[in-house]
Amino acid sequence: MSLRFQRLLLILFTLIIIFSAVLLILYNTRENVSYFYTPSEINKSDIKINKIIRIGGFVENDSFKKISSSSFEFRITDEKASILVTFNGILPDLFREGQGAVIEGMFVNNDVFNANDVFAKHDENYMPASIKEGLKDTGYWNKKYK
Amino acid sequence: MISLIGFLSLVFAIGINFYLLLSRYIFKFKKQRFNFFIRLSSLLTLLSFFSLMYAYVTSDFSNYNVFQNSHSDKPLIYKISGTWGNHEGSMLLWLCILSIFSFFFSFTKNIEDNFQKLTLIIQAFLHILFGLFIVLTSNPFLVNSILVNEGLGLNPILQDPGLAIHPPVLYAGYVGYSIVFSIAIAGLFQNADDEWLYVAKKWSLISWTFLTGGIALGSYWAYYELGWGGWWFWDPVENISLMPWIAGLALVHSLIMVRGEQAIKKWIVFLSILCFSLSVFGTFLVRSGILTSVHSFAADSSRGVFILLIFFIITGFGFLVFLLKEPKKSNSLNLLFINKVSALVINNILMIIATLTILLGTIYPIIIEVLYNKRISVGGPYFNSTVIPIMIPGFLLMSIAPILSWQTSKIKSSKKYALSFIILSIVVLLQSYFLNFNTWGFVGLLLGLWIILASIIAILTSYKIKFTIKFFQIINPHIAHIGVGIAIIGITCSSVFQNELDFNLSEGDEFNVNGKKVLFEKIETTNETNFQALRGKFLFNIESNKINEIKAGKNYYPVSKIITSEAGILHQWNRDIYFILGDQKNNEWFVRVLINPFVSFIWLGVILMVYSGLIAVTRR
Repeated sequence: MSLRFQRLLLILFTLIIIFSAVLLILYNTRENVSYFYTPSEINKSDIKINKIIRIGGFVENDSFKKISSSSFEFRITDEKASILVTFNGILPDLFREGQGAVIEGMFVNNDVFNANDVFAKHDENYMPASIKEGLKDTGYWNKKYK
Repeated sequence: MISLIGFLSLVFAIGINFYLLLSRYIFKFKKQRFNFFIRLSSLLTLLSFFSLMYAYVTSDFSNYNVFQNSHSDKPLIYKISGTWGNHEGSMLLWLCILSIFSFFFSFTKNIEDNFQKLTLIIQAFLHILFGLFIVLTSNPFLVNSILVNEGLGLNPILQDPGLAIHPPVLYAGYVGYSIVFSIAIAGLFQNADDEWLYVAKKWSLISWTFLTGGIALGSYWAYYELGWGGWWFWDPVENISLMPWIAGLALVHSLIMVRGEQAIKKWIVFLSILCFSLSVFGTFLVRSGILTSVHSFAADSSRGVFILLIFFIITGFGFLVFLLKEPKKSNSLNLLFINKVSALVINNILMIIATLTILLGTIYPIIIEVLYNKRISVGGPYFNSTVIPIMIPGFLLMSIAPILSWQTSKIKSSKKYALSFIILSIVVLLQSYFLNFNTWGFVGLLLGLWIILASIIAILTSYKIKFTIKFFQIINPHIAHIGVGIAIIGITCSSVFQNELDFNLSEGDEFNVNGKKVLFEKIETTNETNFQALRGKFLFNIESNKINEIKAGKNYYPVSKIITSEAGILHQWNRDIYFILGDQKNNEWFVRVLINPFVSFIWLGVILMVYSGLIAVTRR
């Protein structure tokens, strides 16, 4: 193999890697990204059943029901709308009524959202920026959250 | 009082650095005098840090920062670690480590005086930037305006020995790149001879080793403390620590090339600037609260602006100098299809692409929000299915890369490698086929084993085995790669072959885990110094005479009214059995048991990488 040919191969190889990386990124940003909504935004738009999304808001007061030691039911609200959520598994330590939470999962029918994951916010005064924006938009924004 | 001392010494240290910065143009210092001032400023910064620590240890609540983040009930170790368990303190730690690096760098021998001076002046410039950031927006020495005799307490999730040492080690890695950055910039300005590359190599190895250790500590902590049974979540802050790590890996590998080649110098300077920029970008972007993460402390928008300013100054300055001042002499690279240089070039390309994909995934939500006003989240699946395929050719290559020749494209005893690769593939294929076949599992196992096998063959065929320090220095690259191979096996097995079992149990119930009988003996509650503990006691393998006791449960911290989960883990060499105690109803407890095969291999692999990082520092 001549020197020139070897270098050509090397450059070709590099181009292939870059090309496949770009393809991977394009494909994966389409497939593996989940959209984030607040409960009132969901009622507005028609949400497809069986598509993974995230919903952020507060756990509605007096809505939490323990069905068994590992299955739960509660409502996520932003004061304008609320959504019934079912969840099987272990709730995060910081999960409480009246506190902020983000849930990831899908609608099993028009009314019930089945959560695969529940994320609770990390401390008393801290709100993830994403929920904060959503709640500010709906006007339900508690001043004590930083 | 102690806060005042801390604050004054912090300000004095910044003042000295201003003085040093001016000294370049106004006063001409002798080397000794210059070094004296650098060391003095380091000691003052250290003093400032220790006075904050003293305030924490003595629970001096007249300091607002201590009041916000500490409590007199806490055990001593968490009083100490509380110093950096908050935004202000952690920034002071950052500055403190920066000045420690300057301190040690001022003792470096065998380099040109002017060059050393210039490097330290750039360090002084960085010190001023971060120092002003602390004083103006995140002062940890503010006086508490109300008189109190008790603090608000440290976030319980941070009250853990693993987390006590994780931030300093990680920061040592991040901030270590500051010195590499300064060296590279000084190298550009001075157009010094190649001596600076050797100095840069040493320091970039030190930083990389610290960063490796820091990331591993953090992920080990996440593994046993967060109670999800995983050790890597593609959380923004993890991604952000991974970026300088990969870029730093590219840097360390490029610095090896210097031995043979010259043209790569420019690339090295680029990487050095990139590493430090990514470190600053990472720490500060997450801390500013722009990205949502477990690690963001409560954010303040004025900080965010300042942070972005610092980031743009450093990155802008770095890349501007890089563009304006080109290194002299550039011989062309000795690129062949398969030789060491081309292997290293491919390695660098792959690592940079991997870094970019992670960067893109991490900031993608911000971009989308700005452009379309839609909020999205990019989860683990994106990173897994993008970053891993990109890295695979690199993993294949790294197994033989250290023995490739610099000059020709011949591989010594290439037939042996080809043969052993084929045999290994068949063995792994059969093994996977008869157990449960999984594509990723197969690929991961094959890659991991191949890297280990090829490295061992390389050691056995290329060198004479002697048990001397020199021998271990020579085979060091192979050892590092074996570490990677072991870690790949651990990562693959623990993520692909993880097994999850859920139970609803009452006290006294027996159940089966992997064919072993387990007894859920009882629930017990105890009172510890600053929390109440609730533990489920499990006896594992009750039918044998070697019974293991596992305790899983929760802690309740009355001061901050927070509950944390405490997973119970039984470590065995080939798997971890991970118990999580869930909720209860009518005295029935929900228990989740995860079987994570070969998790210990991940930590073993990391230990090998850190070891070889340390050995590489001693080698010239």
